[in-house]
Amino acid sequence: MKTLRRFFQRLFHSAARREQEERLREEIAEHIALQTEENLRAGLSPAEARRQAMLKFGGVEAMKQDYRAERGLLLVENLLGDLRNAGRSIGRMPGLAAVIILSLAIGIGANTTILSWIQMILLQPLPGVSGAANFLLVEPRNEGGWYPGASWQEYRDLPKQVPALREVVAFQMVPFNVGETGKTERTFGQLVSGNYFSALGLKPAIGRFIRPEEAERPGTEPVIVISYDYWQTRFRGAPGAVGQKVRVNERDLTVIGVAPREFQGTMFPLKFELWAPATMGPALLGGTRDLEDRSSREFSLIGMLRPGATREEAQAEFSTAMAQLARDYPEASAGIGGEILPFWDAPRGPQRMLISGLAVLQGVMLLLLLAVCGNTANLMLARGSTRQREMAVRVALGAGRWRIVSLVLSENMLLALLGTSLGATMAVWGTTALRVAPIIGAFPIQFQTRVDGVTLAFAILLGVACGLIFAAAPAVHLARLDPQDGLRSSPNTGPRNRARKVLMGVEVGLAMVVLIAAALFLESFRAARQTDPRFRPEGVLLAAYDLSGRNPDEASEREFAARLLERLRALPDVEAAAIATNVPLDLHGIPARTFTVQGRVRTEAGEDRAIFNTVTPGYFKVMAIPLLEGNDFAEMREKAAPAQAIVNEEFVRRYLNGADAIGRRIQTRAGTFAIIGVARNSVYDAFGEPAQAAVYFSYRDLPSMEGQIQLRTRSGNETALTAEARGVLRDLDPMLALYDVRTFSQHIDRNLYLRRIPARMFLVLGPLLLGLAAIGIYAAVSYAVSRRTREIGVRMAFGATSGRVVLQIIRENLGVITRGAAIGWVIAFVISVHAITKGEVNLPVFIGVPAILLGVATLACWIPARRASQIDPMAALRHE
Amino acid sequence: MKQKKDVLQGTLALMVLKTLDVLGPLHGYGIARRIEQISGDLLAVNQGTLYPVLLKLEQEGAIASEWGASKNNRRARFYRLTRQGRKQLQAETKDWEQTAAIIGRFFDAKTEDWS
Repeated sequence: MKTLRRFFQRLFHSAARREQEERLREEIAEHIALQTEENLRAGLSPAEARRQAMLKFGGVEAMKQDYRAERGLLLVENLLGDLRNAGRSIGRMPGLAAVIILSLAIGIGANTTILSWIQMILLQPLPGVSGAANFLLVEPRNEGGWYPGASWQEYRDLPKQVPALREVVAFQMVPFNVGETGKTERTFGQLVSGNYFSALGLKPAIGRFIRPEEAERPGTEPVIVISYDYWQTRFRGAPGAVGQKVRVNERDLTVIGVAPREFQGTMFPLKFELWAPATMGPALLGGTRDLEDRSSREFSLIGMLRPGATREEAQAEFSTAMAQLARDYPEASAGIGGEILPFWDAPRGPQRMLISGLAVLQGVMLLLLLAVCGNTANLMLARGSTRQREMAVRVALGAGRWRIVSLVLSENMLLALLGTSLGATMAVWGTTALRVAPIIGAFPIQFQTRVDGVTLAFAILLGVACGLIFAAAPAVHLARLDPQDGLRSSPNTGPRNRARKVLMGVEVGLAMVVLIAAALFLESFRAARQTDPRFRPEGVLLAAYDLSGRNPDEASEREFAARLLERLRALPDVEAAAIATNVPLDLHGIPARTFTVQGRVRTEAGEDRAIFNTVTPGYFKVMAIPLLEGNDFAEMREKAAPAQAIVNEEFVRRYLNGADAIGRRIQTRAGTFAIIGVARNSVYDAFGEPAQAAVYFSYRDLPSMEGQIQLRTRSGNETALTAEARGVLRDLDPMLALYDVRTFSQHIDRNLYLRRIPARMFLVLGPLLLGLAAIGIYAAVSYAVSRRTREIGVRMAFGATSGRVVLQIIRENLGVITRGAAIGWVIAFVISVHAITKGEVNLPVFIGVPAILLGVATLACWIPARRASQIDPMAALRHE
Repeated sequence: MKQKKDVLQGTLALMVLKTLDVLGPLHGYGIARRIEQISGDLLAVNQGTLYPVLLKLEQEGAIASEWGASKNNRRARFYRLTRQGRKQLQAETKDWEQTAAIIGRFFDAKTEDWS
């Protein structure tokens, strides 16, 4: 008890140090004054009286030391003292400190931001849901390795048969046309099971959620839950929103509640606005049979493990259950098994790609941070050498080794902490910026990244690790210092020369790797921008429509497309119009499917694949893709012609060995098609891709609910067509909304969006790293040179020219630099050949980058060498 | 070396407590004078050593201090015994008396007692 109490008192006293010091001073003065008076009364002279009093009191300083030791916590106070000292010494080198802090901040900020992304995907795949990492995906899987989704009836059966899962919820993504007829807007919602909100553990912002009994019988409860954003934007956050009617797909639904602010649905990273009971599906989607039909696998399932249960148990039970279903309902479930997967391994959605991409990025960033540490260590070593004398004085005055180490350590730690706090601020700013940035695409996407406790701890850990890494070398160096050596004139020996050189070499190597990676990336990006897509995107407007709310059959889909095209072509500014199921250069790519073609004999195992796109007549005119042989597809309402296909040049080359294609038949899962034409190759998935085989089918033969309208303008101002196109669609069906309207150029930009983030990052990183390497080399060389002032002086006194001295210094250091660079070059080369370009070598990059790097390195050596060589030999020799 | 200092500090602490117990609130110089008068030359050279002891006692809560006016009306720090200090003094006095008695008997023992 007493000890504890003293500890707190000491802590307090450590804080109130100045006041305490003042009190002691006053007490001593008073004590001595009283003793002096006493001595005066005893008859001593004033001077003698005071002297005797002082003698009697004893050594004031020694007593003060005792007093201080008694009063505060020596360790804490030393630390505070060290920190003060560190602050002062950092203040004396503002330029250097700024470089170190800023480079650290960038390194730590970037790493923290990336970790917050990884963490979001791994731990927080369902924003707004606490403990989301406990949820697992319950995915039926067919023999082909595809994940077709689950049927509503399966959802009703499964929970009973998979007891390891405490709760299973079902949901389905649906597009909604919201609003009064003729003024609808398109938004996305989810049809959900009755336990959806309760199983996720959500609390409504206002109102209530869907009750289990509201999702029991089809079509009974016309209720809807709206998102927080929807509530704010459409109802201005008014509490009266609950109970109001919203018109969705021409049905009036009553708003019963508002989801919590952060909740955006259960399909990462899509952002949904509306949630309706799954049993409303038939009413909202024109009478679908999703609720009864076991082969209609429109739902996704997620489940939460029962406490104590493992994923393996759940997997075993799920497999058994699916096998049973396959026996019970062979026509719908034969050959369908299932997998229990974590969210980050989701078969749909971008998680897998993001995780692997982010992991690579994190690796690169950690390397960068390591380079920053190496640099800082070099700088601190160089600086440490100028402080040898200071440290020697400290040691001579009795400072222990540990005091010296802690002094150096605290200085570096202070730098590291300043860098960390700046880096964390940058990370907070960065994640917030990304969070706010709306990602507009075919679907609304939102990433809710944030810097939380874990990421912050990571940042601090990184900072401390960096501090330790770059403090270690100077601390060990200075602590080993013999005070006599340190005090003697400038020491000639360079004890840590090798460490410094190795550091320099490693850093150059790292810079080489990252610079080459950056250059390759930028090169591919630049090449992509300059590649001719082999179709003409300029002057084309894209827009989408979706008939799913009408639950149309094939005939009405075909008729709708035909009428739409007629109306669009009648517009004065439209040169050509077409509808397609897929648009080239889409973020999600165009599906490639298997087929067999007449006249092709496969020699090796496997299947032939080609890109499939279904288009209306006029497509090739809009896209300005010439037909090399044959004709365009038959008109939409033409009934006599057989099913048609048009293939591209690559298809003919690869699968028909260049033989005549016209008239041959292609067999796919959808049927048999006769080839009626050959189109020129164009770009489908990405700029710079190798030529891909493609087959175009006709909308006439394979109509679809969804369509991408493509309009080529006469005037060149494609955006001006937007209003007219909207008007046409509204005239045809007032319930439908035209959505995802964009010019083709915007569409391409969107495709490049994901590529652009790392490209920009590398654009910043490359020069940054080059700068860092230059600073590192400069620091190491100027340090080495400063220790050889006398030697240089002697040489010059014996007649060496300054040019020769400079040359020699550069040669010595360039040796190490070249070795580091060579190792880095080889690593980059191997990685690039094996992993990135797959055998292709980008010579300009692999020659240009080393040239630039070595050029900069030479310059960084030359500056300090030049300075050293200009010294007056006499002054150098006289220099202690 | 350190041990010796601790012994001195322990003794001094007890003396300070006893002094404050007998004389009531007193400033540092007063305490030093009193100890000097009674103990002879224990504090003749190093009166200053008293202050770390005073601080330690204060941190332990055995004594408390506040500013007051000395005899000639100057600002001085006055120390007084707290209730806890009084208890501590009693306990330590008892301890001390017991120890002293044992040691005393030990030293008083005659030669024949050793055999």
